[in-house]
Amino acid sequence: MSGDEARSLRLLADTLAALPPGADADARLTGGEWGTMRFANGRIHQPHLEHSRLLSLRVASDLRLGTATTTDLTPEGVKEVVRQALAIAAISPVERKFPGFPAGSKNPKPVAFSEATARLTPEAQGRIAAAALNAAHAAIPDSRVSGVVNAGQEFIAVANTSGLSRFSRRSVIQSSVLVERPTADPPVSGWSEGAHWDARELDAAALGREAASRVATTAPASVKPGKYRVLLGGSAASELIGYLGYLGFNGHGEEEGWSCLAKKRGRRTLPESMTIIDEGRSPYSIPQAIDYEGVEKRRTPLIESGVARAAVTDLVTAGRLGVSTSGHGLPPESPFGEWGPIPTQVRLLGGDAREEEMIRETRRGILVTRFHYVRVVHPGQSILTGMTRDGTYQIEKGEVTRPLRNLRFTESILASLGKAEMWGRAGRRYSDERGGATVTSPSLLTGAFRFTSSTLF
Amino acid sequence: MEPLLNAGLRAALTGDVVYADVRVVSPHRYEHLAVRNGEASALTSSNRAGIGVRVRTKLAWGFATANELDEATARAVARKAVRAAQAAGRTSRTPLVVTEEQGPENGRYESPVGLDPFEVDRAEKLQLLTDTERALHVHPSVKSGHAQFQAWREVKWFASSEGVRYRSSITHVGAGIDATAVSGGEVQRRSAPTSFGGDYRQAGWEFVRDLDLPSLAPTVGREAVALLTAPVCPTSTTTLVLASDQLALQVHESVGHATELDRILGMEAGYAGTSFLSVTDRTKLRYGSEAMNIVADATEPGGLGTFAWDDEGVPAQRTTLVDHGRLVGFLTSRETAAAIGQRHSGATVRADSFHRGPLIRMTNIDLLPGDHSFAELLEGVKDGVYLATNRSWSIDDKRLNFQFGTEAGWRIHNGELAGLVRNPIYAGMTPKFWASMDEVGDASTWHLWGVPNCGKGQPSQVARVGHGAPAARFRGVSLRGR
Repeated sequence: MSGDEARSLRLLADTLAALPPGADADARLTGGEWGTMRFANGRIHQPHLEHSRLLSLRVASDLRLGTATTTDLTPEGVKEVVRQALAIAAISPVERKFPGFPAGSKNPKPVAFSEATARLTPEAQGRIAAAALNAAHAAIPDSRVSGVVNAGQEFIAVANTSGLSRFSRRSVIQSSVLVERPTADPPVSGWSEGAHWDARELDAAALGREAASRVATTAPASVKPGKYRVLLGGSAASELIGYLGYLGFNGHGEEEGWSCLAKKRGRRTLPESMTIIDEGRSPYSIPQAIDYEGVEKRRTPLIESGVARAAVTDLVTAGRLGVSTSGHGLPPESPFGEWGPIPTQVRLLGGDAREEEMIRETRRGILVTRFHYVRVVHPGQSILTGMTRDGTYQIEKGEVTRPLRNLRFTESILASLGKAEMWGRAGRRYSDERGGATVTSPSLLTGAFRFTSSTLF
Repeated sequence: MEPLLNAGLRAALTGDVVYADVRVVSPHRYEHLAVRNGEASALTSSNRAGIGVRVRTKLAWGFATANELDEATARAVARKAVRAAQAAGRTSRTPLVVTEEQGPENGRYESPVGLDPFEVDRAEKLQLLTDTERALHVHPSVKSGHAQFQAWREVKWFASSEGVRYRSSITHVGAGIDATAVSGGEVQRRSAPTSFGGDYRQAGWEFVRDLDLPSLAPTVGREAVALLTAPVCPTSTTTLVLASDQLALQVHESVGHATELDRILGMEAGYAGTSFLSVTDRTKLRYGSEAMNIVADATEPGGLGTFAWDDEGVPAQRTTLVDHGRLVGFLTSRETAAAIGQRHSGATVRADSFHRGPLIRMTNIDLLPGDHSFAELLEGVKDGVYLATNRSWSIDDKRLNFQFGTEAGWRIHNGELAGLVRNPIYAGMTPKFWASMDEVGDASTWHLWGVPNCGKGQPSQVARVGHGAPAARFRGVSLRGR
């Protein structure tokens, strides 16, 4: 047992011991050591080092739930968080179907974790950022290079009054690089990103070179908005798949009837060859052994051979839906408690196409590197809108022919994935800055994708 | 807190460090009470504290943070900030330059609060939400009702190596309701006072009480139901009248973010994006019509972007951004103001917590009222649409091409509102859109909104900002239903 684990579980035991006799509760301690090296205009301009700890206590008192959090881990701080959680629970409406806290005392088998990644020094993080910067500059000397390297670790310790006491760690490195020619008319840019649980597996210089390779060398042309065959790069595909997780598999959406898959469960909704899973423990994601309620992560099919499976749940939504929790609990405190349970380590399976093959098969269409500012237009119909960004190209006669000005799409995820024709086997990990939500996705060719307007660059 | 501040400053001022500041926040209190369909949705009380140290060498900034509040931690955090700056400095050859500023030596600021929102009985607050949420369920097709209240209080001590010291205590409160109606494949939501959490203010519980949510709830529920069967918004190029809450978001997305000088200078390019504006556009670029006047006002009473000094210790200001349609100013920091040759920062730098480094953030970005009543805005519109309450928003990374959907629209026919339409979406290009604004509503249509969810930065930060906006009329806008 590591020092972090022993200290965390002892604090949680002390917290639960401070409750009045007979009270039910779960407590969690989350903590992290993070470094962010943010660079712009060719230099690291916002370096950030963070050490954090947060204690969260959720009391279930006669089916009334109350949550309090604190950063004060002293005995006085623990007493106060107990007092606050009890006070809130005392006035809370009854959560009639709350199933109680799960038992289970043993830690699940550890997941892939890199101690070296968790302990990267600021100097090492700076060198990784410099590698990305230098590689991009070497490829295009007069470019403007921006990006970020996030690296570190987060631990989750959870204990409850049913005897559960568990600990899990997650190591992460995540990086993105933007290469621009801001003075070109119109300005052009290229993008690359990636994430891994092991810093040795993330080649920042390669990201820099890849981003530079996506910068247009001629002025982008305009195309008319309309329906196109579209090859979505991994980053763009991961955004659609991530939103499908939120709009289709969120337990709240199922419970309240706004899920885009509410009436489609058990039916073939997407191509038969498509399988999308949530696999928290997989080394192909940024793995995490337990959720924030201490429930062990397991492989959860979301789309199985094109058939939509059940929404994911936490304790509260599982109770309301009359099922068992699927192990997708987020921290119960606001704002996470409001979001509801969502898949957080999603992976697209079932493809085996190579990138060149997909470009060839696109024949005439558009290659999208990345989306920007994607928002939900209609949740029940899974309609999103957003812009393309940082590398949009026309494909003609099976070849990438010219750069395009960026386009706005307004399209249904189910409709576009429903027309998916090919996608790759290997997928890169696309992650938020701390590895809390990851989509592992290859590029994907869809037969129809609607663009509704274009912009000036 | 003085020993902690001094320990952090002393430990930071080593070697090649030329500047340091220490922010201690203790406490940062937060309370969120929410009821969804009669059940607790998020009942949370949070009490956090921590320290953030920022240093500047000749070549780079450095920032570090931790939760523990003791002198040993303050020193350790300061040393980490120095290490971060030194690591960053290896990528830089150009010296950092900042503006010279005068801040307070012993400043004090406290939000004017009537009824302390943290002292009002929680049972009373929850009862208000429970009663209000129940009143949303006017019809079986209302599948989800939601009522929420939030309050924040941040007590902050700031000290810099330039001798600036202040203590501020800022309290923000607000509340909102929404109803989601579902029928077949149609999902419609209606909110009040506006969407995405409601309305917020630097004030006490009296602000929430005065929102009078229980009286709004039945109308919200009824409109959500009515939207299920309302005609789809017609597709056309037409006249729009935007309600104050939607126009506030338009200001936020297409003026507020676009005038952030860090974006313009490329410092946010890798994440949020840049701007269609350039430094040389100031005083030259026509942003919109003569009727367009926009200020950044951190001195405005009650705004979420109101404070006495920013997180660089610079006194709060009111700056004009757009004057009669012409771009005249930017949102600036000490570093970015110096970069474009301004003598002083516009004091718009804030961090969302002790755990984050300060960035340029919107303060209260207001579209100033004109002189037309709401009825006058509708007059002269033969056929058009009145749109209220944002439902979706998206804009490109230079803040040009936007597309906004609203929860509700009403046809305007011969100067009168003429029936609800559903799923309206309008779109355009920022300068062209603002150029089409031909009439701006008067003070009776103007409202100061609190927006609690403005995202920016890496690691991500969520700022609370203010927007004052009237209703206004726009000609020849692309509109469609879906």
